[in-house]
Amino acid sequence: MSSKPQFIQRFPIPRRIEHIAMAVSFGMLGLTGLPQKFPTLGFSIFIASLFGGVDNLRIVHHISATVMMLGTGWHILVAGYKIFVKKEPMSMLPGLKDALDAIQVFLHNLGLGKKSPQMGRFNFEEKMEYWAFVWGALVMGLTGFMMWNPLMTLHLLPGEAIPAAKAAHGGEAILAVAAIIIWHMYSVHIKRFNQSMFTGKMSEDVMLHEHALELADLKAGLAGPRVTDPRELRKRKAIYFPIAGFLAVIMLGGVYGFVYGERTAVDTLPPVANSLPVYVPETPTPFATPQPVSLAPGQAPSWVSYIGPLFQEKCTSCHGAMAFGGLSLVSYQDALVGGDHGMDIVPGNSQGSYLVTVHTGGKHYVQLTSEELNNIIRWIDSGAPQQ
Amino acid sequence: MGELNNSTRGGHLRFLAVLALISLVAAVFLLARPVAAREVKAPKESDSTCLGCHGKPGLTKTLSNGEVLLLTIDASHFANTVHAEEGLACQDCHTDITSFPHQDFQANSLREVSLQLYTICQKCHVAQYDKTLDSIHQKQLAAGNFNAAICTDCHNPHVQQRITDPVTGTLLPDARLAIPKTCARCHSAIYQAYKDSIHGSALTDYNNLDVPTCINCHGVHNIQDPTTQSFRNNSPLLCSRCHTDAAIMSKYNLSTQVLNTYVADFHGTTITLFEEAGSNKPSNKPVCFDCHGVHDIKRVDDPQYGIAMKKNLLVKCQVCHPGANANFPSAWMSHYIPSQKVYPLVYYINLFYKFFIPTVLGGMAIFVLSDVFRRLVTKIRGGSLS
Repeated sequence: MSSKPQFIQRFPIPRRIEHIAMAVSFGMLGLTGLPQKFPTLGFSIFIASLFGGVDNLRIVHHISATVMMLGTGWHILVAGYKIFVKKEPMSMLPGLKDALDAIQVFLHNLGLGKKSPQMGRFNFEEKMEYWAFVWGALVMGLTGFMMWNPLMTLHLLPGEAIPAAKAAHGGEAILAVAAIIIWHMYSVHIKRFNQSMFTGKMSEDVMLHEHALELADLKAGLAGPRVTDPRELRKRKAIYFPIAGFLAVIMLGGVYGFVYGERTAVDTLPPVANSLPVYVPETPTPFATPQPVSLAPGQAPSWVSYIGPLFQEKCTSCHGAMAFGGLSLVSYQDALVGGDHGMDIVPGNSQGSYLVTVHTGGKHYVQLTSEELNNIIRWIDSGAPQQ
Repeated sequence: MGELNNSTRGGHLRFLAVLALISLVAAVFLLARPVAAREVKAPKESDSTCLGCHGKPGLTKTLSNGEVLLLTIDASHFANTVHAEEGLACQDCHTDITSFPHQDFQANSLREVSLQLYTICQKCHVAQYDKTLDSIHQKQLAAGNFNAAICTDCHNPHVQQRITDPVTGTLLPDARLAIPKTCARCHSAIYQAYKDSIHGSALTDYNNLDVPTCINCHGVHNIQDPTTQSFRNNSPLLCSRCHTDAAIMSKYNLSTQVLNTYVADFHGTTITLFEEAGSNKPSNKPVCFDCHGVHDIKRVDDPQYGIAMKKNLLVKCQVCHPGANANFPSAWMSHYIPSQKVYPLVYYINLFYKFFIPTVLGGMAIFVLSDVFRRLVTKIRGGSLS
């Protein structure tokens, strides 16, 4: 241990970038997804506020999902390249040994087994996490598609498929996030901070404990690509690249269709306004409005034909039973008697009549129209006839 | 209110009596609850003076726009009002009428008359008046819409009967039944829709006091603009005030799970997060009234309009999801909680995860704990951890 530790290259830069892309998109998906599963929790509301509302939360969720889809597509193409072109061993495939390793480690932990097993390039913990991720990505991608594109989905499936997809998406989300926290966090951050996914290297010391068989292969020169002949490699690339290009186009098209195939479940259309008119007043109940008293053209005003009805209409509220100012204008006789001021109507002398004086001055509470006043003046000047 | 200079009629004595009464009433109103119970007083002497003229039918004044202002007060109507019961006299409100001839009153239209006089109400009803200052009606008024309702449009003071129980302060049944007709004076088109709705018909046809009137949703006095985003986002909570109340819903065999099931769904989740996360962005995610109707809410099993009929619901879906097919309405679980009978697929998926999640996580946890245990044991024994 005192000697300088020897490091072995484990992950090239593209793998490390791929990991960061997946880690960030996974983290964002969980962060923006779980509040939607538990919308009434204070934590969810806090997160939604942090993003500036549920709309932004969903935008981030959708972008992260798109990043993860693209990352998955890339991963498939790279895996194909390694398997079909470089003929690298499929070190991530699980086998019986992994199950036995797991049991052996577990028994050893409990003190029932003597030794921990030696393991290859990917140990059973890593394989389990990888395949759990594959399972999760499939479930989440499929159910996510259904929720994102319900119209397309329901051309093939019954309506119940959408809430079913939502149920599975939510259940799987909890499982995935919790599994990452329990399994991934413990295995590579707590138990021993495994930095190889960031630095790309792992010390021989750690390799000896976690990937002893791979280390042995490396030392023996057995690890690595099985196709080393450059001509053979070129030939395989010439076959694989067109196929990979075609697959890439198909997958990109698939992602585009996923994201932009239909938008009605994603975009916010302007809300439809309630079409009922707001202000529609009822016709108020009409009350009896007095007919204006009028004088036929050319007709001479008399008490009976005009003055009496006019006074009844406009004056007797006060100058009736109440006899304000001592004046009653109810009857012809009362009108000529006058009030506290003496005679209000002096037949033949409108200028001398107090009624005319008051109304000409504009001081009286009830105002006569100029036409009405003129007719009264004509009536008085013509001797204030009763008939 | 003391600027009386009428010494020609009535005399100082009567003036002082009126003044004292006005002050007393005002003091009582300012100190006590606005519409607190008091013993019924006999109509005041001064009222008969006013009614000498204003009790006559057809007493009118023609305003400069040609509208005719009716100045007649029907004393028999007024006698039945809450104001008469509380012993209010004409001059308690008409404080500016202190002499005859009356002070000049200039108004160009009937509306102007009301707008000049309604602020008097705050003299006694200050709490209600202050609430109206926050209302959409006052905002409209301030913006120049003079049709917006003021106190007297809803409560004609000369005919307004008692609204609340003087002891408990609760709304009297008759007053509750009269509310929609009051609002209908200006909102008659909405009233027609309400009258035909499940709520409105129960109220107007059967005098049912469980159903909401206008004010249950819109409030009273501080009525808010119902077209805002915040009203929309809060509306599910509004409906759920009654629709999660088992005491009311059990009478009609209605589910109280409507809010839970709504919030659990995609749309309800969105609206819930909208409400709480304070977003003001417009949302078209449906709230209760988008599917059930606003004022024209029908029974869900109404053959023509009921949204329990998938074809009726599809029309609502297609507002936001144009192109939705006949399968689409079933994507919404219609407020059902999934069970073996309804939405069984959803039920079984939930059931699967109910067992799958603890199984997987439990297995992982046991394994991790075994590793922790081994490490602790090794450490205690002083061995190497690697």
